[in-house]
Amino acid sequence: MSEHATPNVKPADDPAFQLPASLGSLSIPLIIGGLVLLGAGWGIANNIHARFGMSVYLTAFIYCISIAVGCLFFVMLQHLCRAGWSVVVRRIAENIMLMVIPMGILFLPIIGSLLFGEGVLYRWDDPNHAVENHLPISIWAEKTRWLNSSWFTVRAVLYFGIWSALALFYYRGSIQQDATGDKAITDKLQYWSGPAIMMFCGATAFAAFDWVMSLAPMWFSTMFGVYVFAGSVLSAHCIISVSVYLLQKRGAIQDEVTVEHYHDLGKYMFGFVFFWTYIAFSQFLLIWYGNIPEETHWFYERQEGTWGKIALILIFFHWMLPFAGLMSRHIRRNPKLVFAWAIYLLILHFVDIYWMIMPESAAAGGHASTGGGLGIASSLLCVLGMFLFMIGMVLKIAKQKAVIAVHDPRLQESIAFENM
Amino acid sequence: MSDNNEKKVHGIVAEYESVDSLLNACRRVRDAGYKKTDAYTPFPVHGIDKALGIKPTVLPWIVLGCGLTGTVTALVMQIWMNSIDYPYIISGKPYISLPAFIPVAFELTVLFSSFGAFFGMWALNGLPRFSNPLFTDPRFDRVTDDRFFLYVDASDESYDEKAVREIYEQTGGEHINSVLDDDSSDKIPKPIFMAWGLVIAASVIPLLIVLKMRVTNSDQPRFHIFYDMDFSPAKDAQQGSTLFADGRAMRPDVPGTVARGDSNYDMNFMTGVDMDKLSAIDAPRAERLVRLSNGPIGPQDQDSTPAAEEGEQAANDSDSASGEAAKDTTPWLTSNPLGNSKEVLLQGEKYFGIYCSVCHGMNGGGNGLVNRRAQKILSPTWIPPSSLHQESLYSDQYPDGKLFSTISNGIRKMPGYAAQIKAEDRWAIVAYVRALQLSRNASIDLIPQSQRAEILEMQEAVQQKLLEEAEAEQQTQEAAAQE
Repeated sequence: MSEHATPNVKPADDPAFQLPASLGSLSIPLIIGGLVLLGAGWGIANNIHARFGMSVYLTAFIYCISIAVGCLFFVMLQHLCRAGWSVVVRRIAENIMLMVIPMGILFLPIIGSLLFGEGVLYRWDDPNHAVENHLPISIWAEKTRWLNSSWFTVRAVLYFGIWSALALFYYRGSIQQDATGDKAITDKLQYWSGPAIMMFCGATAFAAFDWVMSLAPMWFSTMFGVYVFAGSVLSAHCIISVSVYLLQKRGAIQDEVTVEHYHDLGKYMFGFVFFWTYIAFSQFLLIWYGNIPEETHWFYERQEGTWGKIALILIFFHWMLPFAGLMSRHIRRNPKLVFAWAIYLLILHFVDIYWMIMPESAAAGGHASTGGGLGIASSLLCVLGMFLFMIGMVLKIAKQKAVIAVHDPRLQESIAFENM
Repeated sequence: MSDNNEKKVHGIVAEYESVDSLLNACRRVRDAGYKKTDAYTPFPVHGIDKALGIKPTVLPWIVLGCGLTGTVTALVMQIWMNSIDYPYIISGKPYISLPAFIPVAFELTVLFSSFGAFFGMWALNGLPRFSNPLFTDPRFDRVTDDRFFLYVDASDESYDEKAVREIYEQTGGEHINSVLDDDSSDKIPKPIFMAWGLVIAASVIPLLIVLKMRVTNSDQPRFHIFYDMDFSPAKDAQQGSTLFADGRAMRPDVPGTVARGDSNYDMNFMTGVDMDKLSAIDAPRAERLVRLSNGPIGPQDQDSTPAAEEGEQAANDSDSASGEAAKDTTPWLTSNPLGNSKEVLLQGEKYFGIYCSVCHGMNGGGNGLVNRRAQKILSPTWIPPSSLHQESLYSDQYPDGKLFSTISNGIRKMPGYAAQIKAEDRWAIVAYVRALQLSRNASIDLIPQSQRAEILEMQEAVQQKLLEEAEAEQQTQEAAAQE
């Protein structure tokens, strides 16, 4: 079905399939440097006040885990659809999705804030919260049946268990196939992709409820999980595009990934920009129309002062600008521009997460603020540190194996892939 | 085959067995410089547009244009309908509330975009087209099955039948045929006309039934397609309900709450009395007035409503005022807090027309429809409404605040209107009554210079008309007398 003659697939040990040494050697410096930046940023933030520090940490954490989890979804989705086009970029997503395991360790400080403190990050962990804020005791009793530190911890272990199991299952299958070329592995991965995605969706939605939505314990939105998920999948497509571009710049997979793959990644970015908008607006519209105080306060706080400006930034720069900018096929077929838009959207994804979490960072009795220049700097340091740490870990894993699924039965199809 | 020479040749077509040979032939044809070409395949083939050298379509721009038109249409439509033509508050939102408009804007964007894509594709492809000369090729049917066809149009600038045939032959084309004019009749077959006619005739039947029903009578009850729309289950004002213990469908204000727009705590505005002065001279009455306007009265209070007392008080005041004006010591407001701008007067005119004119008459002379009817049937209990033009009701003897209080609480047979008319509108009525009174006593000096000529002209015309009428009457009387 192509005008090209059947392409020749390079042998599995071709140097174009290995992580370029210039990138691989970055892994240890990135891991150490990332941890240092993370520590520095977190330290500065903690000096402002304890909840601010934990909120900054949580922002960085959610940013990174959402990217890893988005990549996990990407891999499972390709298997679910038996997609041919994506085989040449799937290994990149497979490497990043493994990050759910190290991110599980980075979640420990958040568990620690529950077990060794009282409401340092999550207000519901403070036994006096309901009384101090005159919350209805009967409702609060119901809330705390779900929101208590021990059950929260069990659930977090469950989420990380599901994600890690899925990530390892799909990673190991793919790596095994690299060695054996066994087509049955693809069948097995596809067979389990349906149940896997259902488990994934449950874990991801409830993780979003637990970790982000419960920051405002009296607020609830059943759409919140989808909202976080939308940004997560968007950022996954972005980071795949960025990785592909950087790999090709350094000489890897130059013949395998073509402008057609950028075009498709660009389409997904375009689509998920709008999906994110659609979900974010749907969540807003229902609450705005219903106009019930216990639901509106979440948005009300986020329309005041700095948070209101950030909300406008999200409308104009997380939706309108990339929506218009990614609409043309000429842009999506230009790897340099796809790369640029991907970087741009990764930054805006952080703004989105920041806007979700930081308005809940108020100290007891105070108002939430960005913490001024120092507070913003600490947030950026923290997220940059954790992100670089994650990239370092990705590189560490990527350099052990090929950067492409060398014996995937659809590799040839993927290389020859062409859009209409 | 002999008559082939007489038919017009549209182009030349070749059949290919595989995608690869077709794509190869496409490239050869493209490289030979042919522009008016087309390839036909049973399924979409990647890269065929590149192989044929087809230029990118303008369809995306059409879709973008249509999509933007849809967005703008939806927003303009909603703003016009909901905010300008028929301002209507929904869920307590502003008339123009963008979030509420976005779902419709989104849907219309999608709808217009799809129309743009669908009909734009038709237009660009020259559709609908009922026949194509290619259909005359006996082998062309297999394009829907397992064969691939390449066609070069004879109207191409560089068309050369021999050269095209050569390319076809070299690239493995089989059954290379000239595409001839379709010589079957181009008239639409008669059965189709008949079918159309039947459909059109059938479509008129419902209309005829409707028309017949509109001009004939029937003893059958009316047929309600949407019963709930004809008989809304929502309660009207004053209707009963079995849902509530008190049997009323309308709910009284919850004690201790204030309805939106009712939170006017300016006591002077609500009572028409200068409260500071009143509390200095008659503290208990001031207190009573405050209690009266302070929040709604619960159902249990209704027996001893202070409104009734205040109404009596006002009635007594005005009774005594008609006798000895000096006895009314209430410090009424002497000016209208709304002023008397044109808007206020128009508002007052409206509410005067609705609530006051039935008794007091449109001109305030006291001869409204209710009064005329009462006089006609000689109602024994009827007390004629006051003319608003008596001097004792002018603002120097009957201050604005007192007039406001009378409208609010009633006087003699007239009930209080505080429950029906908002305070602001009652003040507007006061302003309008003052304007009515002034209209009988105004001098031309009060009219702005620019409008005097017009008024004088109108006055002259009226006098002229009255004169003419008088003369005409005189003449008819004289004529009657002569007979």
